[in-house]
Order: sequence, then C-alpha cells, then structure tokens
Amino acid sequence: MKRSLEEKLLNPRPGSKVAAAKEFGIDLTLLLKNLRLTPQQRIDQLQEVMRVHHQIREQAKHQLKSKKM
Amino acid sequence: MVELEPVIASLVNNKVEFVIIGGIAITHYGSSYVTQDFDFCFLRSPENIQCLVNAMSPFNPRLRDFPAELPFIFDTATLQNGTNFTFDTDVGDIDLLGEVAGVGTYADVKENSIEIKMFEQPVRILSLEALIKAKRAAGRTKDLLVLPELEALLELKNEGEI
Repeated sequence: MKRSLEEKLLNPRPGSKVAAAKEFGIDLTLLLKNLRLTPQQRIDQLQEVMRVHHQIREQAKHQLKSKKM
Repeated sequence: MVELEPVIASLVNNKVEFVIIGGIAITHYGSSYVTQDFDFCFLRSPENIQCLVNAMSPFNPRLRDFPAELPFIFDTATLQNGTNFTFDTDVGDIDLLGEVAGVGTYADVKENSIEIKMFEQPVRILSLEALIKAKRAAGRTKDLLVLPELEALLELKNEGEI
C-alpha cells in the first residue's frame, strides 16, 4: 500500500534519506508544514521571517548604542 | 534581509538573464532553512551585464565589507571585471554569481534550472539536484548542514510526493 507524504515524513522508512535527515536533526514536522504550503507561500513566509529578524537586529543595535552613550 | 519582490520585478522588467540559486531556491522547494540574502547567477555577456546594471542601479548597490569612504561605481565595467559579487543595497543583501561551484557557468546553471512563477513573475531557479551539487561543492559548514534536508526533499520528489 502506498504511503502518504505525512506517513513518509512522520514515520520514515529506515535507510531512507528522510530517515537520515531525521537522524541528523531536521525537524520533519516543520518540513511537512512547509510542503503543505504553495511555493509562493513558502517565499512569503521566508520574507516575513527576514523582516522580523532584521527588526530584532536593528533594535539590538539601537539598544547597544544607547548603552554606550 | 532583502525585499525580494521589487528586486525580482526589476530583473524581469529589465530582461536580465538570471537563475535564482541559494537559500531562496531552497525555500521554494520546501526547506525550513532561513536565509537573509538573495543569490542569483547571471549571464556574463555585455548585453546582459548592461540589463543587470539597469535593473540593479535603482537599489544603489555597494560592495559589502568595502570601506564606505572609498569610491565605488556600479557599472558595466565593474561587473565585467569580476565574476562573483556580494552587494549591500537599499533593499538588502544581494549576491551575484557568474559561476556556481559544482554546477558551472551560467549555461550549465541554466541547463540545470526550471522555470517557475515567483511574485507572479516568470523566473528560473536551480533544480533541486543541482542545488545539492552546489551545496556539496561549496563545502562550508552552513552549506553542509542543509544537505540532509535537501536529499530528503529529492527523495520525496523522486517518489512523486512533491
């Protein structure tokens, strides 16, 4: 019986590349979540993460500057 | 970070021959890897370099880690005199590569790419197989860390899951 994408990721076949990724420490639940999105949704999500990361870095820089003054 | 949509729109509108590589391509395929820059490979012909200058100039590119007090001109001569460039721009960090380790020149990169839509624009991105070769050839820790996930994605692709 053919295994679904969910089964392949949440219960990977021993010896598979998916199992190797899991053993390496890749969070396969996150991978599954991403694969449920369209490619454009994945890019939009990355863009949002980039913006948040940038804001945090800018705030940290600002706080560091304020401390030095 | 980089604001992707205006950069991609400018490249497409100025008819630049380019292929998206690196973290943005990896994200397209489903990886949860997070990048902060936009990497693409470009055709190093004089005509395409002129198109690239037209597309990128509005974003005021400066060489990254280049002293701000030293003069830098982003023009065709500059791009013709180098192969790979890392730029800070008004819309973020953008890396331009004339060649990709593990894949080859622009012609090889294009041959190993697929056409997709990104922000409703027709663009080419490096294939998953070629991304794996490029990451393996780059060989830096940050490249090697993403390999197991890419190989898992390739396995799922070959099984018709993605």
